[in-house]
Amino acid sequence: MARGIGQYIVIRGLMIIPTILILYTIVFIFLRILPGNPVLAVVGTKNISPEQLQHLMEMAGLDKPLYVQYFDYLWKMVHGDFGVTLAFPMGKPVVEYLKLRFPATLELTLFGFSISVLLGLLTGTIAAAKKSTKIDTGMRLYSIIAYTLFIPWFGMMLQYVFGIHFHLLPTSGRIDPGIELQRITGLYVLDSLLTGNWEAFSSAVRHVILPATTLGIVLSGAYTRLVRNNMVDVLSQDFIRSYYARGVKDWKVMWYALKNAFIPVVTLMGLQFAILLGGAVLTETTFNWPGMGTFIVDRIDYRDYNAIQGAVVFFAFFVGLISLIVDIVYALLDPRVKY
Amino acid sequence: MKNKVLSLTLLTIFVFSVAASGCIGGEETTTQTGPQYAEQIVIGVTDKVTDLDPSNAYDFYTWEVLNNVMEGLVKYKPGTLEIEPALAEKWEVNEDSTVWTFYLRKDLKFADGTPLKAQDVVRSIERIMTIQGDPAWLVTDFVDKVEAKDDYTVVFYLNQPTAYFLALLTTPPYFPVHPNYSPNEIQSDQTAGGAGPYKITKWVRDEELVLEANPNYYGEPPKTGKIIIKFYRDASTMRLALQNGEIDIAWRTLRPTDIESLKSEGKYSVIEVPGGFIRYICLNTKSEPTNNVKVRQALAAVIDRQEISNKVFKGTVEPLYSLVPNGMWSHIDVFKNKYGDGNIDLAKQLLKETGYDENNPLKIQLWYTPTHYGDTEADLAQVLKEQLEETGVIQVEIKSAEWGTYVDYARNGQMQFYLLGWYPDYLDPDDYTTPFLKSTANSWAGTGYANPTVDDLLTKAQSLTDQDERTKLYEQVQEILAEEAPYIPLIQGKLFVVTDPNVKGVTIGPDMIFKYSTIYKEG
Repeated sequence: MARGIGQYIVIRGLMIIPTILILYTIVFIFLRILPGNPVLAVVGTKNISPEQLQHLMEMAGLDKPLYVQYFDYLWKMVHGDFGVTLAFPMGKPVVEYLKLRFPATLELTLFGFSISVLLGLLTGTIAAAKKSTKIDTGMRLYSIIAYTLFIPWFGMMLQYVFGIHFHLLPTSGRIDPGIELQRITGLYVLDSLLTGNWEAFSSAVRHVILPATTLGIVLSGAYTRLVRNNMVDVLSQDFIRSYYARGVKDWKVMWYALKNAFIPVVTLMGLQFAILLGGAVLTETTFNWPGMGTFIVDRIDYRDYNAIQGAVVFFAFFVGLISLIVDIVYALLDPRVKY
Repeated sequence: MKNKVLSLTLLTIFVFSVAASGCIGGEETTTQTGPQYAEQIVIGVTDKVTDLDPSNAYDFYTWEVLNNVMEGLVKYKPGTLEIEPALAEKWEVNEDSTVWTFYLRKDLKFADGTPLKAQDVVRSIERIMTIQGDPAWLVTDFVDKVEAKDDYTVVFYLNQPTAYFLALLTTPPYFPVHPNYSPNEIQSDQTAGGAGPYKITKWVRDEELVLEANPNYYGEPPKTGKIIIKFYRDASTMRLALQNGEIDIAWRTLRPTDIESLKSEGKYSVIEVPGGFIRYICLNTKSEPTNNVKVRQALAAVIDRQEISNKVFKGTVEPLYSLVPNGMWSHIDVFKNKYGDGNIDLAKQLLKETGYDENNPLKIQLWYTPTHYGDTEADLAQVLKEQLEETGVIQVEIKSAEWGTYVDYARNGQMQFYLLGWYPDYLDPDDYTTPFLKSTANSWAGTGYANPTVDDLLTKAQSLTDQDERTKLYEQVQEILAEEAPYIPLIQGKLFVVTDPNVKGVTIGPDMIFKYSTIYKEG
């Protein structure tokens, strides 16, 4: 059995490699198909000679044949090197940006994820408990509305209400200007806790509330529906009736039901995490959150091949890792899964 | 019972939010000594800083930052085009403006206390010449060599008489930089700076830049000890940050609609400054149909600049009828004099002479780039299309491409009719004419324009020192520009600084550089 799960983990882990390879290839081809390049984006309307332009192309390694560029970068990535930025500024290791930007996205994602799961469980459970009532209809309506909300629009609504109108929360950034915070993990809320910097903690929490709530609410809709349907299914089973017959308290019964209904939710968590990262791009742009999303969008403007390739591959690797963890948890939770 | 769970959850969220917002971080405190000014001012921008290194920085906002953390031998008097001493206390120039001698102030220091001598000025300028970065031409096209006669005397030997050399000296490539800057490599994130009123204490690219008063600055200390620059991805987020009190100043660049509505709110100071940046249309003189001068003239005649200003930019720009901006010496409204504004009859007549009419309309593609010049660009293209199609003789297809692609198309002459913009390098008519019209300097624009007469006039104007004589030459150049229309000037921008009403002392001169040392916020 132990060998079985060990093998399963290894096989699932190895499956990340072709996924990343396919994604890298697609991004590489797309970037090269589009006209223009990072050197031209930097040069802009400056008056430089064709020789100077050629020299810049050579410096950026863009004079080599495409297949050489492709395998060069692939070889670098295998060794954990994501190359250097090709524009604004040139020559800075992409890894440095990833180190700086990824924790911001991770922080936003974790908060958003927590909010979406909590809201989803809460609304789904209530809907199941009040099946076929107005409350159930209300919750189901909530799930549809939440799922269809457009992040930038919804984010802006929250900014107007809680920022501009009530002046309760900041509308952009991660922390108030001028607050010094020692960087340990790059997750500001955690770093401020670890260093006991309460001013920074308060500021970081206040900054994360609106973007995480935006992301959380939008993504909670899927959970509401899934939890409700699973709970309805579980609540109709014999063992639940026997709980009631033995006089077990309502909330305890709901708890047992939720535990049973939880397995499919774990799978959705894995899937949602990838969507979360996609949603983070929109959320980051709306809230000027300096994470990977805004980084990629900025770099697309510059056609910075290395930075875009590096960031996308890093994202893919991270999502692959999360799905792997989810699969393992799922396999451990559900004995019916075959390794 | 289940309601209890719900209530408990909501209560927890509420308590957490209240606890989090109970103590507010980042509040300004006021100094206890001297005037009651806030200790820090937060400025929001949507621009980016490219290279914190004058050897390669070549965009307006980065130049602004460098102007605040470095200084040159001379500078513009705040709010004017008058040159005043800076690191140099006085200077001399020989008869034909080819040898310029500058005498430095004594006891100059870089921000960290390292002494600044004439040798540092020479080292910094030679560094520019060695690295050959984007703005290097501002030195290499003019300076043959630079020498330190002693610790306090710097001598520039120029390639040719250059009347506007002092204007060049106000640009970052001439600023002395700290010895920490590598002598032969661009250092995009170097924060050692120079000898300006501020020093950089924190730099997180695209996120935050913190400047603090330089204790070793020779001049008057800045009124505000700490300036924090926050970088925003778009104007709407920056506007919200201003309205929510997260920033004190919204600077480059709010949208025209934002400026209009913030003005009407009446809660903010909206400061308007004439800007030296211009927008224009390029016309490819080498390919159909714009290789025909009458077609170019017809297109120039149709444009109604006042309508563009009102409709697209809500009056935040002014119409421009020459490449030399309004208010600059030698400027003439050549396009207005020759074609008027929105002159449809003249356009029809010119097109008729080239064989175009209602049955055989002129078909043209108008190109624009969607983000590089702000999000009004699509509207600008649309209004231009409407104006051109109003003739009934022109059919316009709007096309767009992202900046990196757009530049590629322009350089390769793949577009015939396309929008571009220009920020000056130095404030002289030369910078608004030579890069566009001189055949050896305009390959970037892709118009393919070449006229030996114009080349000679521009070369001559560069070498003369008498402004009246230069004026005559630039006027001739502008007349030819209107006649041949390889470019159609559209508008000249204005700059808007929107601030919290307590912020005072905002001074931006014709050089468009915002010097932060004069601003303060009343506590």
